[in-house]
Amino acid sequence: MTDTSGEEELLEFLYACPIGLIKCGATGEIGLMNPHAMQHLLPLAGPRGVSNLFSALEPYAPELRSMAEAFALPRGRICDGHRIFVDLGPGRSGATPKVLACTLVKLGADRIMATLTDISHQVVQENRLRQADTWFATLLDGVNGYAALTITPDGQIAAADTCFARQTGYEPADVTGHNLADVLGTDLSGGDLRLDEQLAIAAREGWHLQEGWQQRADGERYWCQRLVVARSALDNATLPRFSVVLRDVPRRDAATEDVRRLLTCDHLTGAANRRHFSQIMAREQESWRELRQSLSLVVLDLDHFKAVNDTHGHPVGDALLCRVTQACSALLPPRGIFARLGGEEFGVLLPRYDRDQAMELAERLREAIADVVIETPSGTLRVTASLACATLDETEGSIEALIELADKRLYSAKHAGRNRVFVVETEAA
Amino acid sequence: MSPTNVGFETVALHDLENASEADRDALPFGVVGFAADTIVQVYNATEARMSGLDPATVVGVPFFDAVAQCMNNFMVAQRFEDEPELDDIFPYVLTLRMRPTKVRLRLLATAKTPRRYVLIER
Repeated sequence: MTDTSGEEELLEFLYACPIGLIKCGATGEIGLMNPHAMQHLLPLAGPRGVSNLFSALEPYAPELRSMAEAFALPRGRICDGHRIFVDLGPGRSGATPKVLACTLVKLGADRIMATLTDISHQVVQENRLRQADTWFATLLDGVNGYAALTITPDGQIAAADTCFARQTGYEPADVTGHNLADVLGTDLSGGDLRLDEQLAIAAREGWHLQEGWQQRADGERYWCQRLVVARSALDNATLPRFSVVLRDVPRRDAATEDVRRLLTCDHLTGAANRRHFSQIMAREQESWRELRQSLSLVVLDLDHFKAVNDTHGHPVGDALLCRVTQACSALLPPRGIFARLGGEEFGVLLPRYDRDQAMELAERLREAIADVVIETPSGTLRVTASLACATLDETEGSIEALIELADKRLYSAKHAGRNRVFVVETEAA
Repeated sequence: MSPTNVGFETVALHDLENASEADRDALPFGVVGFAADTIVQVYNATEARMSGLDPATVVGVPFFDAVAQCMNNFMVAQRFEDEPELDDIFPYVLTLRMRPTKVRLRLLATAKTPRRYVLIER
């Protein structure tokens, strides 16, 4: 009797546990799991079912399978709090995008323990803190840490302090009257907005803060936080002026670069991961809202890829994914992002690309993928892809609708016979 | 409860409401009844056998938080919030005794009756 109530108590404990617990085999076959794990897994798994952890999460975290495969030690922690970005835009009915944290511990040759926790709210908090942190850091850093300038609405330098000279190598007297963006090359790729765009927002909203590359007098590139603040004109005779604060942010050394790669890249292919893709998309959505700057999305899915894995095995499939990533990345414009969104599904974000430009690139991507050749023991292997484009203009700024529209078109391209880019009917008519 | 009306697909919400505890325990499928605040009021013997839980410990706790977290998503719990009139059957996977178990669920709710039901067929 004591035994029965003991077991019941244990079951009660596991039913009520607010963290997902899963026990699975080396390939992800689930043996045991508690209700909290099922709460998250079942809606994500859809038709793939919940019998295998890695398959259930394949469209969201294809890297979990390869991380488990690549883990060579007989036992140990495969990953700790690995973040799975479920939604790329705001989630269902505008809710906070869902982010799960997954920990995998290898217990033996064919035994893995996994935990799943919903950390969506934590992630939102972190983002807020990071923004506040950047802001305070800019204000509080030592006096020498920032350069202050005054510029006119068209970006011309009206005055600069000595710290500007120290930071950039330019003497204030030599650059006065010149355009700040030209002097520092502030529009090198990687920044969020051009200086003139930042000025437009600051004029409307008071201030704007962003990070990006710029260049010192000796040609060295450096990562800089740039705060633009609109100043109220004291009398109507003076033109409005802007204050600019530049802060040299020494980052991107080898160690931080490693961390950055870890956080932003897909484990297997080196393409951007869902997390990074989602962040860039949110950033570009802001630009769309503020400046109506176009953003195009290309989604592509390799045709009959499951057959490749089934016939040639996962290692050949993995190699193919890597080669496709290389071929496509080579065609990207400077601000483009190529990301692995799921097993064999990729997304290309193209800031400032309109639909025609995106369609043209999509066609080139299709050709590049069709040219990829892999030699396997059983012969030459080729692959094709189906592609579709959509723009943020078409969905009036909604990321959720953008992804949905692109996916719908991708499905049509598949349906129309694969190895093609979806063409809108009105164009065909 | 009339004997013809006790099938998983056919039993009506008012039949469950009018049935005695013994009648509900005799049904071959799991029956869970709970109030709008999700506090469990009915937990029949079949369901207790499948889950391994004593009804005495389940009655009085919030169903979707303490017992059936696997249903605490838009596929089940949210539907009771969104749909005052609900009668739907669909396949689902539960974790009875921590083993993924394929079942059929039937969700039953009507604005006239405060108590809602989830029926579980293994």
